[in-house]
Amino acid sequence: MEQLLSGYFVYSFAFLFVFIALATILHMQFSLTGIVNFGIVGFWAFGMYSCALLLLKLHIPFVPAVLLASVLTGIVSLLLGRIILNLDNQAVLVGTLAFATIIEYLVTTEKWLTNGVMGLGTINFPFDIGRMTLFVYFLIILAITVLLLLYVSRLRLSPFGRLLLSIKDNESLSQSLGKPTFRQKLVFFTFTSAVIGLFGALTAPLYNCIFPRMIGPGVTFSIWIALMLGGRKRLFGGLIGVLATIGLFEFLIETVVPIPAEYAEMVPNFKFAAYGLTLMLVLMFRPLGILGEEGRGTKYGE
Amino acid sequence: MAFSTFVTSSLVIGLLEAAPLVLAAIGFTLIFRLNGFINVAYSENITLGAYFAVVFNSILGLNFYASILPAALLSGAFSVLTYLVVFRPAFNRGVGKTEMIILSVGLSFFVRYGSRLIFGNDLFNFDFVNPSYLSVFGIGITSIQLTCIGLVLIISIGLYILIYRTNYGEMTRALADNEQLAMVSGINPTRFSILIWFIAGTAGGLAGIFYGAFSFVSSSLGWNLILIVIMVTIVGGIGSVRGALIASACAGIVASAITLVSKPLYGQVALLLIFIAILKLRKGRA
Repeated sequence: MEQLLSGYFVYSFAFLFVFIALATILHMQFSLTGIVNFGIVGFWAFGMYSCALLLLKLHIPFVPAVLLASVLTGIVSLLLGRIILNLDNQAVLVGTLAFATIIEYLVTTEKWLTNGVMGLGTINFPFDIGRMTLFVYFLIILAITVLLLLYVSRLRLSPFGRLLLSIKDNESLSQSLGKPTFRQKLVFFTFTSAVIGLFGALTAPLYNCIFPRMIGPGVTFSIWIALMLGGRKRLFGGLIGVLATIGLFEFLIETVVPIPAEYAEMVPNFKFAAYGLTLMLVLMFRPLGILGEEGRGTKYGE
Repeated sequence: MAFSTFVTSSLVIGLLEAAPLVLAAIGFTLIFRLNGFINVAYSENITLGAYFAVVFNSILGLNFYASILPAALLSGAFSVLTYLVVFRPAFNRGVGKTEMIILSVGLSFFVRYGSRLIFGNDLFNFDFVNPSYLSVFGIGITSIQLTCIGLVLIISIGLYILIYRTNYGEMTRALADNEQLAMVSGINPTRFSILIWFIAGTAGGLAGIFYGAFSFVSSSLGWNLILIVIMVTIVGGIGSVRGALIASACAGIVASAITLVSKPLYGQVALLLIFIAILKLRKGRA
C-alpha cells in the first residue's frame, strides 16, 4: 500500500489533476468569456519557472514562492491583456500564442537565469514525510482543483458570471447597458491566468527538474483538445476530456500496453496525430463534445 | 563592426531569410482573403513541400532543381485535399470562425505528427551538386541561395501579376464578400476555390523547399514559421498581398539585424513583440 502511494500512479494522478485544472480554467476563459487563449503553456511555464527561480536563486520558502509566482504571472497577464484583450478573437489568439512562444524562446536563451536546455533543478517537495510525501502533495493539488471546480460551479450562477457570458455573447450590447466590459474581462483574464501560474508553480516539484522542451505548444494543444472533446460548455467538460485524452493515452496506454522499445519514440507522434484527428472529428460532428449542451434545469447559458 | 557593414549585412541576410517567407505569406494571405480564417494547417503545407522535395531529391536521386516542380505541385494538391476533405465540409456544417482556426490546428497536429510516423524524427538535407560560394557586398552566400532567391523573385512577381493585373484578385474578393453574387456573375465557387487553394499550397510548398535548402528539413519546419507568417499577414493588412510582401521583407531585415548583434532567438522575440505592438496600434482591425 505504501509503495503504491509513493509510486508512479500517484505521480500520474497529480499530473492528471493539474491538467484537469488547466482545462477548467480554459473553460472559464474560452467558454464563459470568449477569450481565445492559445498561450496557456506560456502562463503555466511562467509560473513554473518563476517559482523554481524564487526557490533556488532567492531561497524563499515554498508557500510564499508559489504565491509570488502566481502573482507575477497575474501581473504579466494583466500587461498582455491590456494590449490584446480589446482586439478581435483572431488577434487575441495570435497574441497569446506569440506570448507563449516568447516565453519558450526566452527560457531557452537566458542560460544565466534558467540554465537553458540544461534544465533547472532540483526542486524539492516543500515537506518530507518519507514515503507519504508524494501522496500528500497529490492531495493538496486535488484539493485546489476541487476548490476551483466548486468556484466555477458558483461563478456560472453569479451576477459576475452572467456578465461574463453576456460579454461573450454580445459585447457591444453589454457595453451599451453600462457595463465596463473591457475592465471586467481584463480582471477575469488576470485572475484566471494567475491561477494557471499557480498550477505551474505547483507542478515544478513534480518535475523535479524543468526543461524548455516541457513547455512546447503541445501542452496548450493537449488542453484544448481535452476541453473540446469533453464539452466546452460544461463544468466537467475539462475533467472528462482530460481523462479521455491524457488519462487514456499517457497513463493507461503507456503504462499498461507493452510497447516494443523500437517503437517507443514513435508513441508521442502517434499520440499527437490521434489528438489532432480527434479534435477535427469533434469539431465537425459533435461541436459541443461528449457532454454536449447543458442539461435542463440549469440557469447557466440561457 | 562598422555601421555600413552592419546595414548591408542585415539587408542582404534579411532579404535572404525573407525570400521564402514572402512566398509563404502570399499563399497564406490568399486563403485568408478567400475564406477569412487563419489556416494554421498551412504550416504543414510548407513542411510537406520540403518533405516531397526530399523524397524526389535524396531518396529518388533526382536533381534538386528538377525536384522543385513536382514537389510544389504535390503540395498544391495536398492543399486542395485539405480544402475538399476538411475545410469545405466544415464550412458547410456552419463551423464558426474561431472554431475553424481550432480545426486547422487539429489538422496541423494530425499531419505533422502523422508525417513523423512516416519520415521519422530525423532531419533531412538536400543533395546539392557542388555548390559554389559567392560574395555579395562582402557577405558570403552559396549559388544555391542565389538561385533560390532568383526563383522566389520570379514566382512572387508572377503571383503579384496574377492577383493585381488579372481579375483573379477581384474574383477572390467577390467570392469572399458575397458568394451568391459572385455566382451570378459567372464565378464557379468550387472550381475557383480549388484553384486558389492550389496556388496557395504551391506557394507554401515552394517556401518550404527553399527554407529546407537554406538549412535543413524537419517536421517542425512549417510550425516554426507559421506564427511569423500569420503575424506578417495580419500586420500587412488582411488579404493584402502587397502588404504581406512588404511586411515579410521588413520582418526578415529586422530579425537579421537583431541576430547580427545578439542571439538568433532574440530576433524572433523582438519580431513578435513588434507585431503585438502593431496589432494594438491598428486597434484590432484584423
